[in-house]
Amino acid sequence: MNVSAALAPAVLSIHAAPTEARSASAWLGAETNARGVPEEHVRRLDHCLDEALANIFAHGGAAGRALPVTVNLDVRLGPDGGVAAVTISDSGIAFDPLPAMSTSKSRPASLADAVPGGLGLMMIRSYSDSIGYRYGDGRNHLTFSVRWGAPA
Amino acid sequence: MDIEYVDINEDFRRINLSGRLDTAGSEAIATRFAVLAASAKRRVLVDLTGVNFLSSMGIRSLIANAKAQQGRGGRLVLFVGGNAAVAKTLEATGIDVLIPMFADAAEAEQAALA
Repeated sequence: MNVSAALAPAVLSIHAAPTEARSASAWLGAETNARGVPEEHVRRLDHCLDEALANIFAHGGAAGRALPVTVNLDVRLGPDGGVAAVTISDSGIAFDPLPAMSTSKSRPASLADAVPGGLGLMMIRSYSDSIGYRYGDGRNHLTFSVRWGAPA
Repeated sequence: MDIEYVDINEDFRRINLSGRLDTAGSEAIATRFAVLAASAKRRVLVDLTGVNFLSSMGIRSLIANAKAQQGRGGRLVLFVGGNAAVAKTLEATGIDVLIPMFADAAEAEQAALA
C-alpha cells in the first residue's frame, strides 16, 4: 500500500537575474519548512538551486533573460521518509547537463592543472539523489531531488 | 557574508571568511578576497570555520587565489576547524587535494609557514 502523501506543490516565478537567487533560496527555505523537509536535506536542495540558477544566469543568453524562470517544489512524505524535488524551468539556450555530469571527468591532480569548469554541475550531482532533464515548449526543465529515510 | 583579515607578521596573513558564500555572496567578496589573498607573495591562511554555505563560485575564488599565490612562490592553506559541511563540500569536489585543508588550527598554521 502506498501511503505517501503528495503535498500541494509550490511555484515561484523570478526574473532571470542574479539578484533573484537569494529570494529563490529564501522561498525554498520557507516552502520546504512548511512541508516538513528536514533541514539537512533543505541544505542540499539549496546548494543545487544556487548552482543551477547561477548556470542559467551565466549561460542562458538573451533568450534566457527574456522570460521569467520558474521554480517548482514537490514534496512527498511517507511514514518514514520523503522525497523533495525541485524543477527549474528557463527559456535560455537548450542545455542538457546530464551528459556532462555522467562523463567521469578526472579531477585535476595539481593546482596548476585545475580548471574549475563544470564545478557547479559536479556539486549538483554530489548534493542531489537524482537528476532529470527535458526540453519542451522552448524551455529547459531541470529537476533535482533529494530523499531521506524510507519514502513509501 | 563577511571578509576580515589579520596580518600576523609581514609575510603571514590570516583571512576570515564567514556567512553565506553562495554565488551572489562569493561574487560580492571576490575582488576584495583576491586583493587580500593574492596581491603579494605571502603565506595565507583562509579561515572557513564561519562559512555556512560554500558554492562553486566560492570554490573558484579559493582555487584562483591559491594558484596566484603559488605562482608568486607563496602558499595558501585552508582552515575548516569543525565545519563539517564546508569540509564535505571541499572533499566532494576534490579541492582538498589541491589546496591543503586542515581541521586543526596549529597544523594549518604550520603548513602555511612551512
